[in-house]
Amino acid sequence: MRNIRRVLRIALFLIIGLFLHYVMPQQDIARVTSTEVIRTDFGGFQRLFYAQADTGQIDNVTRDLRLINTERKATYLFGLIRGNNETMVFRNEDTGWIYPPYFKFDSSDLQAEASATISTADAQWVVVTHYGWRVRWASIYPNAVAIRPAPSEDFRPFPWVNLVIFLFMIGGAVFVRAMWMQLRERTLDPLADKAGDRMDHVSADLSERKGRLSRWLGTWRKKN
Amino acid sequence: MLFVRLVVFGFLALSVIYLCVSLYSRSIRREKLEEEWDATAPDDATPDMRANFVASGMTVYERGLRKKLMLLIFVIPPLVVGPIIYFIN
Repeated sequence: MRNIRRVLRIALFLIIGLFLHYVMPQQDIARVTSTEVIRTDFGGFQRLFYAQADTGQIDNVTRDLRLINTERKATYLFGLIRGNNETMVFRNEDTGWIYPPYFKFDSSDLQAEASATISTADAQWVVVTHYGWRVRWASIYPNAVAIRPAPSEDFRPFPWVNLVIFLFMIGGAVFVRAMWMQLRERTLDPLADKAGDRMDHVSADLSERKGRLSRWLGTWRKKN
Repeated sequence: MLFVRLVVFGFLALSVIYLCVSLYSRSIRREKLEEEWDATAPDDATPDMRANFVASGMTVYERGLRKKLMLLIFVIPPLVVGPIIYFIN
């Protein structure tokens, strides 16, 4: 039982962690090499990892998808360790009024901004804020949310937004825990006590009746 | 339409949060009142007096500022969305 609970708990933490890793903003130092639009036919599973058509438009099975091709600084361990340059492709979609709550409506403008920073020999580094994963075997791209110029190639942006969100979430978790404890102490435990009390009464009553029955039976026994 | 959907479901979610928080806050206040009575009650106090004390404390709480501040649960999230929209777009 304890092992089952442990496994369930680990699975829960894993799911929450992966979800947060997918949804939270990340910042990459990158150099835009080109922008393009490809037509995309979404599959059922793959569809989960895409936003919808631009806000105000109708969502169809097939539509054009804006892509931003970049060369970026590879990072490992949540950005703590930095590696060599690698290529990365970002999609550029409106999240609109739907999940995740980035409220991004300006995909076209972002595409124009990205195009404006295209650089080859004279490298122009930018910070690409994005969320999501690049999953090659399912053609899934992270969604670029914003682009701003980076001071230098070695610039390391600090994830302030993530810090604030995490602080809020920890505070919320502590609060929910306090609420649960209060509910247990003031409502659930008294109820359980009452129920337990009633059980005690019933079983005491039962055993007393049994005693009476056996005493009555005893009167029919032969007396020595 | 999607905006309307967000507003409706967001309102529902915030209502659930508001309900939970208000129940929690009320429970905390009631517990505090009970503890206060238990600490300061005269020796010949009856359970009726205790119930009265708690009830009158609760009516004061229901009219208090804390209760009104809890309505901020409905106000702050929409106010946060504004700056997000501004900075992202």
